[in-house]
Order: sequence, then C-alpha cells, then structure tokens
Amino acid sequence: MIASEVMDINFHCLHPKNTIAEAVRLFKVASDKEGKKIFGMMVTDDNDHLVGMLSMYDVLLFIQPKHVKIWGEMEDLDPGPLFDSLLNRVKNIRVEDIMTTDLITVKPNTHLFVIIEIMIKKHIRRLPIVEEARIVGVVYRSDVFYYLLRKFIE
Amino acid sequence: MPVVKNRSILTGIQVKEAMRRNVHRLSLDDSIAVCIRHMIKFKNNAVLVNDVEGAPCGVVSKTDILGVYYAGLPVDTTLQDVMAGPPQFCYPDDKLEDAIDMMQNHGIHRLYVLGADSDKVTGTLAYTDIVGLLYRFCRTCSKSLRKTKKADNELPQLKVKDVMTAEIVLCKRNDSIKQVVEVISTQRLGAILIVDGQIYPEGVISKTDIVIAYVHGVSIDEPAENIMNTPVTSCSWEELLSQAIKQMLLNNIQRIFVYMDDKRHIKGVLSLSDAARFRSGTCKACVASRIIEGI
Repeated sequence: MIASEVMDINFHCLHPKNTIAEAVRLFKVASDKEGKKIFGMMVTDDNDHLVGMLSMYDVLLFIQPKHVKIWGEMEDLDPGPLFDSLLNRVKNIRVEDIMTTDLITVKPNTHLFVIIEIMIKKHIRRLPIVEEARIVGVVYRSDVFYYLLRKFIE
Repeated sequence: MPVVKNRSILTGIQVKEAMRRNVHRLSLDDSIAVCIRHMIKFKNNAVLVNDVEGAPCGVVSKTDILGVYYAGLPVDTTLQDVMAGPPQFCYPDDKLEDAIDMMQNHGIHRLYVLGADSDKVTGTLAYTDIVGLLYRFCRTCSKSLRKTKKADNELPQLKVKDVMTAEIVLCKRNDSIKQVVEVISTQRLGAILIVDGQIYPEGVISKTDIVIAYVHGVSIDEPAENIMNTPVTSCSWEELLSQAIKQMLLNNIQRIFVYMDDKRHIKGVLSLSDAARFRSGTCKACVASRIIEGI
C-alpha cells in the first residue's frame, strides 16, 4: 500500500520556457499518446528537476477575461474579438509565468493513506513522486481509487 | 437652510458592492519575479505585501516595477526593497463615493478593504471595478437608450470624440524599451502607441508588456518593436461611446486608440477612466452628474 505500487511511470513534462500555446499543444499530444485526458503536467528544468505544475485550471484562469462578470450579462456581445487577443496572449506568456510553484511531493514509499489525506485536504488530483530531487512517477487520484477498489473486491 | 446635494448614480452604493473578495498577498521576502508572475496570472495591477506577522505593510504596483526595471535591479530583488507603503484602507460599508475621493486624494487606483479585525484585509476595491459597475448599472437603467427606442433625438448618445483625449504620446519602433519606460513613467500613462517612421501605428506597449519583458530577461536596451503588441486596437471617433467601452471590456484593455477617417491616422485615445467620467456612456440621461474627475 505505498506510492510506488500505484504510481504511473509514464508521464509527460513541460519546460518552463514553453509558451502557453505550446503547452496546450503538448497537452493534446500527451492525451493522444496515453489514450486518456490529461488535466495537468509537471514542469521540469534542464536538470530534470521539478520546478512546477501546470494544470488546466491554471490555463483557464489565465485566459479568463478580467471583466467577465460584466460582459457575462450581455447577450448582445460578439465574443469574436476576444479570441483574437487571447491568441496573442498565449503566444507571449510562458509556462513558468503561470505555473503553480508551491508543490507538494511525496516519496515512493509514502503510504497510500497519507496520499489520500493530502489529496482530500488540498483538493489535489495528482501528486509527483520524487526521489532524490528526481521525479520517478506520478500518482493520480483515479488510480488510487481503482487500486483500493480492486483490493475491496478481492 | 436646505443643503443642495448633488446626487450621482453611485450615491447609496457601498464599497462591498464593488469590491473583489480575493486579495492577492505576497510576503516581504518574495522576489519581484514571483510578484510579476502573480500579476500576469491573476491580472492584477498591484499586489499587497504582508509583513512577517501577516499584517499588510505595503503595495507593489506595476508602476513600481517599471522603476525597478529602469534602475537595472535583478528580478530576484525582494519586495521589501521596492514596495511602497503603507496601503490605503477602506471598509465594506463605506460609501463608494468617499472611496473614490480617497483614491483621488492619494493618486492611487486601489484601496484595500478591512474587515472587522483591523489586521485582516477582506477585499480589494479597484478603480476599474467601479468603472465596470457603472457600466453595468447604466445598461439596466430605465432611462437607458436601449430601453427607449424612440429617444434617438431627445437623448443623443455620446460618441467617442466627445470624451477622448485628443493628444497622444508616441514612441518609435526602434526606440529602446528604456526610452518607452521613461515616457510612460513621466507622463503617467498606462500604455503607449508605437509608430513606424511615417507615424503610422504599429503596435502598443502597456505596462503589463514591460513587466513581462522584465521577467523574461529582455534587456532594457532592446528596441520597442521586440515587445510591442500588434495589432493596435482602435475605433473610429464617430463610434458610440458604449460600443468603445464594450470593446475595451472584451479585449481586456484599459484604453483604445481613436482614428478619424483612416485607421492609419490615430488622433486620440480613450481610456476606460475617461469613459467613466461620462458615466457608462449609454445615454446622456444623467450626464449632469459626472462623478469622477480626472483621477
């Protein structure tokens, strides 16, 4: 019942200098390769050290217009121009600009219940498994769930 | 003796109706890079700085960061070395009009809202949010032109040319970023138009673009064209004010450039704050009480 039993060792990483436009493309590539939807990716620097995580939430938050509350009430608006300026912005901004940097990581021998505790308390979907400053895998909430489910059924 | 009191559309509105409830705080030993990234991610123009005990002690705005970039300090300088302070506060049940007066007196665009506990900041009141509130308010006003179709002649709608600033400040595309920072800071602008040799508009550089360049390690001696935003968002001076405001809100910009006949001849600029002086601009029904003068 430890992290290394559940972790996924096939994961995809972004580079801090990738633009958001590139990152979105890499999300798509990773999703296609893994055959499942990818909601977040780890960001590693040139030395393969984990420096941050970029989730779909970060990207959505970034592209959200500031005054959305006001123009959300206007049905007579053409949102066309909005997307043009959006496109400009995602080419200019890098992953390191909007990624989450205060990360929680666990070790390969961390007990599953500790992991579940962290996921519940912090509303986290995925936890990087780090050993001596290198990422060795990632634990997804769904993997933990189905792992436990199997244990119960057996 | 009766006292004549000018009523404006904001009379009776309290700070709590216009404030945002998420406050962005950083601590004294966070770096400027962290601060800039925070501004990019959350689209803030200023960040509150807390001291070691968690009490608010200063503010770092984009303008402050421009000065730091200009001075040549590295992006890992800590916020305690650059912040301005102390922050100005108001309370949720203060009158919005008083809050605007306070902004005007201090020459600032943002107040922090204190809760019951005087050390606890519960919200942010930003000038642009008040502008947004006004716009929203006027759209639903019963005197608004949108509701009374016949009123075209009685209540002529404001046009961009009635409100815009007819003077514009320019920089050339091969001016250095340093020169652009100088002009923006001395003229207290939010953004500047970048033109080519023939004075045709080429792009726009805002304070946000400059802080992004700073955190990306762009040298301040590089030409302006390397960091400018294209194309220039502009509108005709015959455009209805309400249309122009809508365009600004949609594009997430604070100002729009105004041309007369030819898009290549920019004649003026209209900022959201200019527009707010004339209320929402939806109609002239209540133009008599222009509330916010030249903040």
